[in-house]
Amino acid sequence: MTVCSTAFQTLGRAQARALGNSALPIAVIPHPFGGRSREEVRKLAEQCVEDIVKLLAGGKT
Amino acid sequence: MSEPAIDRAPTFEAADDLDAINRLYREKRWSDGLPIVPPTAARVERMLAHSCRGRHEVVANVAPGFGAATVERIAVNAVMAGCDPEYLPVLIAATEAVADPEFNLQGIQATTNPVAVWLVLNGPVSKQLQVNATFNCIGQGSWANATLGRAMRLILQNIGGAQTGEMDRATQGQPGKFTFCCAENEESHPWQPLHVERGFAATDSTVTVVGAEGTMNMNTHAKHADELARVIAETMVHPTSNEYVHGGEPWFIVGSEHAEIFRREGWDKARVKRELWERSKMAVKHLSAKEIDRARASRTPELGELGDDTLLPISPAPDDIQLIVAGGPGTHSVYVPCFGNSRAVMRRIES
Repeated sequence: MTVCSTAFQTLGRAQARALGNSALPIAVIPHPFGGRSREEVRKLAEQCVEDIVKLLAGGKT
Repeated sequence: MSEPAIDRAPTFEAADDLDAINRLYREKRWSDGLPIVPPTAARVERMLAHSCRGRHEVVANVAPGFGAATVERIAVNAVMAGCDPEYLPVLIAATEAVADPEFNLQGIQATTNPVAVWLVLNGPVSKQLQVNATFNCIGQGSWANATLGRAMRLILQNIGGAQTGEMDRATQGQPGKFTFCCAENEESHPWQPLHVERGFAATDSTVTVVGAEGTMNMNTHAKHADELARVIAETMVHPTSNEYVHGGEPWFIVGSEHAEIFRREGWDKARVKRELWERSKMAVKHLSAKEIDRARASRTPELGELGDDTLLPISPAPDDIQLIVAGGPGTHSVYVPCFGNSRAVMRRIES
């Protein structure tokens, strides 16, 4: 399991393949988030936690 | 016993048509965007004759794809870049160097930063291969400089898997990612050359890999060491620097006229490094708020609590500043800001 932003999804997927784990679950958050308010980041984090739980249970986000 | 198939570079039949071959390399994204020299079996064999290492020997696994850089695969990319066969040992040593954990190739290859891999050659190899250390040494016009730097890029891309927009996430990149290679001018030098400073014999040949963020020319007609150090140090100070945030390893290509000013006034290399380090300290408040957070995360263990007026040194210690002497006549030196989370690695070139 790993977490990355949309801009780095391609990298995450390619790196997982290169390391022999192409099925690695990746939770993706919108990019960019550096300029977002604390409240917006909190919402993204909450959504991401739900995605992680789904991915760990074998589902899709 | 036969070699494992995985270590063999794949081969294919192609018509003897340069345009068609270049179209294929373009479609497959095996090139850097420029036409290549077809790596025919004969050309690769001629290149391999210049290494005593086995063709299927794995020199390193190259991040971020962790492709196996065998001697043969390095040779294939060297042919594509237009290298003379005699250049192969330089590229074997450079490939070993980039894979050293100190270099942080994973970060360098996959970052949004424009960082390029700069090759610096020292020792007799520079003359043997005619690697330019004087006029325009990081510019165009020297076959060895141009093709060695280009081969390094092709190795990073084709063996390391850092394709633009895929695993190479550079926001803009920089021209040095096509090629970036020079030698140190050891004949017009007031100090020890880099490889001797790092414990090699003057008669050794070495290659150093540097994670270089770009080049900043410094044209100054300063006549005295103190004034020269001041204006160089003030050039180093910039709040968008990765080096102040992480504690980096800034590099300088000191022009021979500037080196002569330091020599005339008795400044050795350690003195120059110390003066630049002291004079380039930057108050934390010049960073953006987000960069202050990043600097705190990176440098609090080294520097303690960072307040607005805390003076940040560009690197943990004066000796982290790296100086080489190169270039032709003129009042120019070059500041090469670096990636920050990386240290240059030097390897001996075995012929």
